[in-house]
Amino acid sequence: MKQGLLAGVVMGGLLLLLVVVASLLLGPVSTPINALIDAQNPLHEIIWQVRWPRVLNALLVGACLSLAGLLIQNMVKNPLADPYLLGVSGGAASVQLFFILTATSLSANLQVLAGFAGGFAAAMLLLKLSYFGQIRTNKLTLNGVVLAFGFAALISMMLALAPPDQMKSMMFWLMGDLSFVRTQWWHFVIVGLAGLLLFRQHRPLDILSRGELFATKSGVNAVRLNVLVFSLTALLTSVAVAQAGTIGFVGLVVPHLMRLLVGNKHQVLIPMSLLGGAIFLLTADTLSRTVMAPIQLPVGIFTALIGVPVFLWLNSKTP
Amino acid sequence: MISIKQLDVIRDEKVLLQGLDVTFEKGQFWGILGRNGLGKTTLLHQMAGLLPSRNQSIHIDGMPLEAIDIQARARQISYLLQIQEPCLDCSVSQAIAMGQFAWQAKHNEAEAVDELMTMLKISHLKDRSLLHLSGGERRKVELATCLAQKSPHLILDEPLNHLDCVYQQFLMRLLVKQSQHQSVVMVCHDVTAIQAHCTHVLLLLAKDCYLAGESATILNDKNLQRLFDD
Repeated sequence: MKQGLLAGVVMGGLLLLLVVVASLLLGPVSTPINALIDAQNPLHEIIWQVRWPRVLNALLVGACLSLAGLLIQNMVKNPLADPYLLGVSGGAASVQLFFILTATSLSANLQVLAGFAGGFAAAMLLLKLSYFGQIRTNKLTLNGVVLAFGFAALISMMLALAPPDQMKSMMFWLMGDLSFVRTQWWHFVIVGLAGLLLFRQHRPLDILSRGELFATKSGVNAVRLNVLVFSLTALLTSVAVAQAGTIGFVGLVVPHLMRLLVGNKHQVLIPMSLLGGAIFLLTADTLSRTVMAPIQLPVGIFTALIGVPVFLWLNSKTP
Repeated sequence: MISIKQLDVIRDEKVLLQGLDVTFEKGQFWGILGRNGLGKTTLLHQMAGLLPSRNQSIHIDGMPLEAIDIQARARQISYLLQIQEPCLDCSVSQAIAMGQFAWQAKHNEAEAVDELMTMLKISHLKDRSLLHLSGGERRKVELATCLAQKSPHLILDEPLNHLDCVYQQFLMRLLVKQSQHQSVVMVCHDVTAIQAHCTHVLLLLAKDCYLAGESATILNDKNLQRLFDD
């Protein structure tokens, strides 16, 4: 198991490096590889000032969404669950759109923070609604879906009221875009700490996948673990949504892909989901800005265009 | 030893059984009989700590159940659930190894799991996926998981469900053997099986009416008539 994990991480790491380098070199202006290190090269600036922040953002958001998806699917035992089930995207988008609509001028950082707060608050509202001495996961699923409809109505209303010149910045929050804000160092600290914390709990997480009664009778404090899992999922998803808006499909499909590729043990699933999500989203984003260059397409198109065939193919290979 | 004193079995605020007094000891094999919906599963849930019970009515070896933390409790009691919860997939050997979690055993895990699978005649299922087993095969895996827990107390909720008649016989003999070093408590609707194998019986007749004792004395025609009276 240890060797399998090591091999997976090394292979994933190499693939990640390859995608990062490719993403840095590809773009409307194609750059030679020596521009990466040669500070004299005029393209050096483009690579490190324009492309690198976006690469970092894609890695961060991909890793967050994928790990959050792994957690939420394990918690509600529903293969269709994705991180947005927690109402985070709706909450964040509603707050953002409200600020844009009322023309409250916030600095970019404050705007991101407001989105984060809105998303996290929505998740906490869902937790409050679904908590009866323990998280009732069936209630959570239903409440989450219903809340999402409520937020969608709010968002539609604000879009209908918005003057045309505000539409573009509003659409960012709804379609997802990795070029809008930069990552901060503490984003990666959050993901790293969450990953470590969960990795230490890999056996309880395995057992939780068998059901809450099973976990409790086997010696796992399922009530506490569920609250931890929910909070971390909400945190990771809020970070992702605040950084990039609503990017679909990563949190749904990457955990499934990883389960098909590396099995069901969280010891392997957690690091591989982080890596897989980062690779997946960065690939999709690189394609979204190169395929029709100089036009940039929404990244969500490519997460689905890559994810759907890969997933269907892998799913047909396993019984 | 699991001792129950003045326990009220309560589900959703409704009292199902009142003032239950009974003690399950090592070397005893208890069968619990009673009509549907009388509170048997709720009683087992409370004994295993999956549902709270009022005023410390359940003690494990003298310790109130609520005072034992969840992981230590799993070292004391293993519990075969009646109903499968929705779950995600894993392999059979992974599933059985989960029974060892409470002990945090790093060594001999694989060997112990292999031994159990041989004992329960399910070695051929080792690498199969849990979600692709038949009902009976799944039941055997759950049973192996309970035995992997190596606890002094074994609680089983209708262990014979889904099993073929040959395996039912085998399992009853196995449980008799287990009861030499574990206290075994089993809810079961098969009166003949209980009569043939259990040393003790808890006969639940109504909310405030039950009989507990050695099966030879409890399971007489008069009492069974009361159980079957509609």
